[in-house]
Amino acid sequence: MPCPFGFGRPPAAPASEAPETNAGGTNRRNVLFGLGAGGGALLASLPGREAQAAPAASGLPGVGQTATAENANQRQPFYGRYQSGIVNPRPQFGLTVAFDSLATSRPDLEKLFRLLTTRIAFLTQGGTVEQIDPKFPPLDSGLLGPTVVPRNLTVTMSLGASLFDDRYGLAHSKPKHLMAMQQFPNDELESGLCGGDILLQICSDTSDVNIHALRDIVKQTSALLAVRWKMEGFLPNPNDPSTKNETARNFLGFKDGTANPPSSDAQLMHELVWVKPGNDEPGWAENGSYQAVRLIRMFVERWDRTPLQEQETIFGRAKTSGAPLGYQNETDIPDYAADPRGLKVPLTAHMRLANPRTKEAMATRILRRPFNYSRGADKAGQLDMGLLFICYQADLAKGFIAAQTRLNGEPLEEYIKPFGGGYFFAVPGVQDKDHYLGQGLIESISA
Amino acid sequence: MSFLPRPSLLAGAAFTFLTLGIHAAHADVPVTVTDKGCEPNTLTVPAGTTTFVIQNKSTRLLEWEILNGVMVVDERENIAPGFKQKLTTKLDPGTYAVTCGLIDNPKGKLIVSASAAASAPQKPSAVDLVGPVAEYKVYVMGEVDTLVAQTKVFAAAVKAGDLAKAKQLYAPTRVHYERIEPIAELFSDIDNNVDSRADDHQKKEQDPGFIGFHRIEYALFAQNTTKDMGPIADKLVADVTTLQTRLKTLAIPPGKMAGGAADLIEEVAATKSTGEEDRYSHTDLYDFQANVDGAMKIVELLRPLTLKAAPDLQAKIDGNFKTVDAILAKYKTADGGFETYDKVSDKDRLALKGPVNELAEDLSKLRGALGLN
Repeated sequence: MPCPFGFGRPPAAPASEAPETNAGGTNRRNVLFGLGAGGGALLASLPGREAQAAPAASGLPGVGQTATAENANQRQPFYGRYQSGIVNPRPQFGLTVAFDSLATSRPDLEKLFRLLTTRIAFLTQGGTVEQIDPKFPPLDSGLLGPTVVPRNLTVTMSLGASLFDDRYGLAHSKPKHLMAMQQFPNDELESGLCGGDILLQICSDTSDVNIHALRDIVKQTSALLAVRWKMEGFLPNPNDPSTKNETARNFLGFKDGTANPPSSDAQLMHELVWVKPGNDEPGWAENGSYQAVRLIRMFVERWDRTPLQEQETIFGRAKTSGAPLGYQNETDIPDYAADPRGLKVPLTAHMRLANPRTKEAMATRILRRPFNYSRGADKAGQLDMGLLFICYQADLAKGFIAAQTRLNGEPLEEYIKPFGGGYFFAVPGVQDKDHYLGQGLIESISA
Repeated sequence: MSFLPRPSLLAGAAFTFLTLGIHAAHADVPVTVTDKGCEPNTLTVPAGTTTFVIQNKSTRLLEWEILNGVMVVDERENIAPGFKQKLTTKLDPGTYAVTCGLIDNPKGKLIVSASAAASAPQKPSAVDLVGPVAEYKVYVMGEVDTLVAQTKVFAAAVKAGDLAKAKQLYAPTRVHYERIEPIAELFSDIDNNVDSRADDHQKKEQDPGFIGFHRIEYALFAQNTTKDMGPIADKLVADVTTLQTRLKTLAIPPGKMAGGAADLIEEVAATKSTGEEDRYSHTDLYDFQANVDGAMKIVELLRPLTLKAAPDLQAKIDGNFKTVDAILAKYKTADGGFETYDKVSDKDRLALKGPVNELAEDLSKLRGALGLN
C-alpha cells in the first residue's frame, strides 16, 4: 500500500513533486503565510477556503506535519464546505472508532446524524458543561474538568458500504466506489475489526481530549450506535526540539510521508481528495472524500533483527536521512525513468511500488493521515504495535485500491500484517448551524 | 451508602424521610392550637410545598402532625407553650387530618387542592415510596424462597447423578437469582459463592475457589458429568439459604430499589449480549429475560410515582421494554424456556443493543427523577 508508510512532508520540503500551480514560483507555504497580507486573493477563488483557513493561518504546510505548540489550544472550524480532520494539520493523537448503526428507520438515521452534528459542533468548539441535580448522572464524563477545551479536536464522520443496504433505502445514493474492504493477499482480516456502518476519526492535541469526545458520543448516541471496533494512535511529540520539523517516523524507524501531497494546497486537494461534480458520483457526495482505514500490525522484533541494508532496500530509502537510495536528501525526487532496472531504488521497494511517479500515479495520489498504534503484547509475548493507516482520496479505486494492488507481494509483507479496517466515505461538511452531517444523503432519498 | 440489615421496612423508609429536599417558595399558612383544638379547624392549601406556622397557645408541649389515615405524613415536635414553630412540607392533593393538642381534642381538617404547580412533574414524598418498597420486598422474598426450593431440587438431581434432569433444571433455577440480583449482590460473599465465573479465579475452571452455579454448569455441560459435584451442590443450597435468611431482615432502601432496575439492565448490556455468562450451557436468554423481568418489576411498582415525576421517561422506558420483550419472545420454546444463545441471529443481537442501551441510560435517570439518593 502507499499506505502504511508515508506520514507527510516536512515543512522544509516545498511541493517538489506536486504539479506546480502557484503563481510566480513562490512555494505554497509562503503563499499561505502571506494569506493575511494580500495572498488571500489567490485562495479566495479556490473551493473550500473556509476549511483551509486554520492550517493556512498557522502557516503549516498540511496534514503531514504534526500540529505543534504554536497552534495548540486552538479550535478547528466545524462548519464549512468540507469536514475538518482531513486536510488540516494532523495533531499528535488520533483514533478511529467504527459503529454498527442501531437506527431502525431512515427518520431514526436522520435523528442520529443530527445528534452527532450537535455533539461534534459542541465538542470541537468547546464550552462549559451544565451542572445538574447531583441525584442524576452528570451530563459529562468530567474528564476534562468543568470546561471542555477542544485543543484542535476534529471529529470526522464517514459512512461504510453496509449503511447503504436495505435497512434505510439508501442503495441508490451509495457513492460509486464504496464497498466492503476486500481481502488483499497478505491480509489476515478479523471480521470484528473490519467495516462498520459509521466511522468517526477523532483527532486532537491530547489523547484525553479524544477519549472525552469518544465517551461523550458513545453516551449520547448509545440507543443508535453500537461500537464495533476502535483503534487509538499517536505520533512522535511534535515539540521535541531534536526532531521538530522532521517527517514523523513509523514504528519500523523510517520517515513516513515524505512524498505526501501538501494538504495546504487547496487546488491540489481539489484534484486529489475531494469528490467533484463530474466524478460520476451521486450529487450529495460532492465535497466528500473516500477514506481507507487499515489496521496494520508490524512485527517489530523481527524487523529489529533485520540487517539495515535489507531494511533500506525494502523501503527504498536510507533509514537515517530518509533520502531515496542513491540520492542525498530526503526530498530528492528519484528518477525512475533513468533507473529502469532498479539499480538505485529496487523495483520492489515499497516507495517505488506505492508511487511509481508515472503521470497517472501522480494524478491519483492519496492523502495519508496515519498514526502509530501500540496496544500491549500478543500471546507469544511479541509487541502488538503498528500503524493505524488512514488515507483520503477522490477516487477509491484509482487511489488506495490501485496503490495497494501494486504493493501486493512486496518484500515488506514479511514484516507487516493488515488485520482490520475498512472503506468509508467521509461526507461533505456542514454548511452552518441549520444543517447537519449527512443531510444531503438523507434528502437525496426523501426529496 | 451501606445497607445494613434493618429490623423493619418502615425504619428504612423513615430514614429516607430526612433526606428529601424541600424548597420554600410560598406564603406561610398560620394555625393556632389552643387547649380546645385548632384555629381554624379546617385549612385549605394548594398542592405542593407549604409552610405552616404553628402557634402553641395551649398550656402543654405540642406535637403537631399531618395524618393520612393513620400514617404520619409530617410532624413538628416539641413546640413549647407560647411559642411558634414552622413546618415546611410537600403535600399531594387530598384530604388529611391534623392533630390539635390533646389526643381527645377533635382533629382538624387539611384540604390540599390540586394546583397548577401540582400538575407539573412532582417528585414523590417518602410516604409515597413506602408502598412500592414494601411490595418489592414481597417480590424479593418470593423469588428467594423459590430459589431455595428449586436449588434443593437441582442439587438433589446433581447428587443423584441424574445428568439430564440436572441440565434441565440449571437455567430455570438460576432465573430466581438473576431477577433479584441487585439486592442479592449486596451480600458479596454470597454472590461470589453462587454466581462467580471461571474468569474470576486465577486458575479458571481448575481453581478450587470456583464453585456455585457456574462450576456445576461447567461439569454438566462442558464435562458432561455430575462427578464430584455433590459437595458443591450442598454448598450452593447452603449459600442460597443464607441469602434467604439475610434478606428477611433487610430493609431495602428506596434508592437501592430504583437503582436496581438500572443495575439489572447494565448487567444485560455488559455481559448478557456476549453470551459470556452461561458459556457452557448457552442458556443466557434465561438470565437475560430474568434480568429484564426483575427490572420491569421495579419499574412497574414505581410506575405511579414515575408517571407523576417524569411521564416522558416512563413512556420511553415502556417502549424499550416492549421492544426487548418482543425480540426475546421470538426465542421462547414450547416448554416455556429459551433457545440457546447461539441461535440468536446477529441481526437480533444488534436489534437488542439499541433498546438495552437506551434502557440503561433512561433507568440511570430514574433515581434522579424520583429524587432518591
